[in-house]
Order: sequence, then C-alpha cells, then structure tokens
Amino acid sequence: MAEQPQPRQETMTSGERMGAILMRQRPDRIPFMPFIFGYCAKNVGYPIARVYDDAEKSFWAQMWTAEMFGYDGGAMYGYASIGGWEFGGDIKMPESEWEQAPIVSRFPAQTPEEVDALEIPDVETAGAYPIAIAFAKIQQQFGMPIMVMPFGTLTPAGNIVDVDNLCRWMMKKPDVVHKLIRKCTDFGKKTVDYFVEHFPNYPMMAFTGEATAANQIISPKQFEEFVLPYQKELQDYILARGIRNIFCHICGEQNLNLPYWAQMEYGDPGILSFGHEVDLSTAIEYFGDKHAIAGNVEPQVIQNGTNQQVYELCKACIEKAKMAPNGYLLMAGCEVPVQAPPYNLYVMKKAVMEYGFYD
Amino acid sequence: MATEARKKEILKALYDGVVDFDEDKVVELSNAALAEDVDAYEAIMDGLAAGMEHVGELYANQEYFVPEVLMCSDALYAGLDILKPHVSGKEANVKGQVVIGTVEGDVHDIGKNLVKMMFDVAGFEVHDLGRDVKLENFVEEQMKTDSEIVALSALMTTSMLAMPKVIEMIKARNPDALIMVGGAPISQEVADNYGADGYAPNAANAVQEAIQMVSRLREMGKA
Repeated sequence: MAEQPQPRQETMTSGERMGAILMRQRPDRIPFMPFIFGYCAKNVGYPIARVYDDAEKSFWAQMWTAEMFGYDGGAMYGYASIGGWEFGGDIKMPESEWEQAPIVSRFPAQTPEEVDALEIPDVETAGAYPIAIAFAKIQQQFGMPIMVMPFGTLTPAGNIVDVDNLCRWMMKKPDVVHKLIRKCTDFGKKTVDYFVEHFPNYPMMAFTGEATAANQIISPKQFEEFVLPYQKELQDYILARGIRNIFCHICGEQNLNLPYWAQMEYGDPGILSFGHEVDLSTAIEYFGDKHAIAGNVEPQVIQNGTNQQVYELCKACIEKAKMAPNGYLLMAGCEVPVQAPPYNLYVMKKAVMEYGFYD
Repeated sequence: MATEARKKEILKALYDGVVDFDEDKVVELSNAALAEDVDAYEAIMDGLAAGMEHVGELYANQEYFVPEVLMCSDALYAGLDILKPHVSGKEANVKGQVVIGTVEGDVHDIGKNLVKMMFDVAGFEVHDLGRDVKLENFVEEQMKTDSEIVALSALMTTSMLAMPKVIEMIKARNPDALIMVGGAPISQEVADNYGADGYAPNAANAVQEAIQMVSRLREMGKA
C-alpha cells in the first residue's frame, strides 16, 4: 500500500505565495484558490444574494470562508451575467435553493434597433458597478489588491440581447453583433479607466474571461470573428493602462479556441484558469511557458462526488500541473457550487497540503 | 402527382434546405410538395426530419455549432408549419407526449430548445414549460396532459440538484411517468443516482431514448 504523504509546514503567507506566482518564483506550495462566491455567503449564514448585492457582507463572507478553509486569495467581486443590468436591463438575485448567481430577468435590447439605441453606461451608476466600487474601497481599506472585472466581450453581449438572439444574428446580421460587441468592449475599457483613475497607483489585477464563447455554443471560426479582436483589444488596453496581471477564466469547452486565446496578452505573468473540459497538460502546452495555469477540478464532482473522488481528482490535477514552468494554482473548473459539501472543499486543501509542496 | 423521381428530388431538397439552413428554399419546397401531392408526412420525416438528424450529427462532430443549428431549426419549423396541417390519418397520431423544461433556478434553454425541436420532428406532442420552471409546474403539467415523458434540463451545477426533487415529486403523483434528464453537468451516472428513467448526452439521442422508453411503457401496457 502506497504511503500517504504527510502535510508539510507552510513557509509563506497566502500573500507571499500569490506574490511569488506573480514574480514568476516558486512558492512553498501551489496556491489554492477555489473560485468561490455564493458558497461563502451560505457558509457564513447569509442569503446567497448578499455576495452580489452587499459589498461589505460579500467581502467578509469571502474573507471568513477563506480563513475557515485555509485557502489562498482573498475576496473579489464579480458575476457572469454582467452586461444585462449595466446596459439598462433587470437582474434577479439568487433566491431559491436551486439558484447560485444573478440572472438577467429582462434583456435591455431584443432587436437590432434597440442595439443601435444602447448607450455606453456611466460606470459609477451602471448595474452592479456601484457595489463593485464599494467593494474595491473595502479592499483598499484592508490593503488588498483590487480586482477589476471587465470580464468578456461576447458574454456581456449575450447578457444584453439573450444568447439565442446573439447566435441567430451572428448568422443573419453579423453587423449588429459587431456593433453590440463594440459597445461591450468600450464599456469594459471604460470600467478599467474608472478603477485606474479612482484608485491611482494602487495594486490591481483584472479579471477577464469568456463563457458564451465556449465551443458548446460557438465555433472557432465565430470565435475568430466575434471574440478574438475585441477580447484582445480589451486585454491589451488593460495592460496599457498599467495593470500588470490579468486573471482570465476560459470557461467550459474551449479546446478549439485555444489557438486564438494564445494570440492574446495576459500580462507579466497572467493567470489562466480552465474548465475540466480543457486538459491541464494542453493548457500548459499553450500557455505555460508565459503564464501561470489554474484549474480545473470539475464543479459537478465537488458538489456531487464523494470526498475521496474530490481528493483523487485534485491529486491528479496537482500531479499533472504542479511543475508548469510559471506555476500552477489548484482551482475549481468554474465556480464552486453553493451546495457542495464543506468536507469536499476541505479535501481540496488537504490534497494541496499533501501533494502541492515544492522541494 | 409527382413522379417517384420528382418526389425524391423534393425530399432531397427539403433535407438539403434544412442542413443548409435555407429557410426560403424549405418554404418553397414544402409548398411544392403539397402542390404536387407528395405525402406531407413523408416530406416531414424523409425530408425535414432526416435533414435535422444530420444536423444533429454535424453538431455532435463539432462541424456545426449553436448558431448554425438555430438557423437549421428555423428552416425546419418553416417547413413544419406548412406541412404539419396536412398530415392525416394514422400518421397524424402522435408518438407520445412529453413535458419539457429547464428546471427552477436555470435560465439556460438553448439545449432544451434543441431537444424540444427533435421531439417535434419525431412526432411527439410537446408541452414546453420554458425555463426557470417551478418544480410543481412539471408535476401539474404531467398530470394535466397525462404525458408519458417529462424531460428535465439543467446547465448549472446548483440547479441540477432540483432534478432528484422534481423526479420524486412526479413519481409520487404518477409512478408510471418516465423522467429523462440532460444538460452539460449531467452524466449517465448522475441520471442513475437521481432516479431518472432516461438520459441522453445530446438532442438527437434524447429522442431515441424517449422512443425506447415509450415502447417499453407500452409493452407493459401502461401507456
């Protein structure tokens, strides 16, 4: 019977560990950033919505949960339905036990004419941005880096007009889609401007990513036309505005898009996180020589699997990616489900402590 | 009355029209089929539905993606709207009834809509409850329509947890109702654990699974 490795003594704080990754140095062990939002609210006894609609409660729910489970990385604000509310639609906060995150309940544009009429929102008052700004002020108060979240360019477009319309227009009215994504890209850049100008010379990272660009929805050819130029422009802009590192979540099945993602810049270094659909070895092959890799523990297993399955899955991820040239962070392939058993989250850390140290 | 060669030509053109997402062509050919006395049921099954089946394969092989499939679906429905009212007699009998929807907490309905479309072309009567459907609505609709099948969809890992609950609720009211589940986080193992009667990894397989489920039910004399 193979000997069970013993947990090792940490020699770095979480901040030092993350700092080492961003300096391209080896930390004492791989960082563990679960990718966790709604779970934190539930964990500390708040309704899940508080992590999205109350900056202070969101911040503390995340910090206390990080303390409880001993994972790295602190608190950040963001949500994947971004765009709908910000451009004038409505959003519904999670309420029932089956809901995890905000959803768009009224799309701000449903016709090409309505897309034409969309105006780039004022960051200070747009949708969730007042909450994001309040959250950033709390991060500043506690000396933590601010995470700016422009997210993607196609995903907000889908949140504005509904993905169904977006897909049909890609085929029938591509000019409308380009016009819409142009507005999303400009808004993303404007949010970057806001944070850079209102928190001058303060340490920041940017959170970008794409969910709607997954190959479960669009083709690599459509990615090349509708995502690559805009997402590249946004990420170039983030870096040009002095934000040194981008955390990019390449969500879902994106294997066919990887050659295009590889044409973008992510900073020095970036951190690229992947869903379970993209093998970590493939991710390292494409991006590992320049950037840190994060991922890709399947959320469904974290939620429904036994603790032994979760542990084995984490161990396999760590063994596969630990030696990535610019570092590896253990992370869920997408947000940790709010109904995941707490012990499954604990064994993720346990796997890190037993297999994640560098000698 | 179309000759056999002309009939074949029309069916092939309907097939191609769906695959090439040429809605205008499908409308023109559907009208031509009726004008030339091609059997409407044959035009649907051997033209439109056969084309859509191929579209399903193209999607599974990552040659087509959701935008293309939606366009094919628009072409398909354009043809169905013209041809369906002319299907008569034994062929007009539905293969079965299905209640379909995306479970509460989940607004992602593209996958559900594709499955619905495959049920439509296969001759099922579909009761589409839409997205973010309250669990009790599945139960009520199944009872109201006496549908043999309830098809549940979920994309989110949190909302998939509603599935075992709704399966339990439906089975408590009607143990003979057959439940099938699908969606990105669902696997055969998950479906089994949830107590579902059927699972399909994609839209095309969903219909095959449903047909087999209904056949088994009928063999047992319960439908």
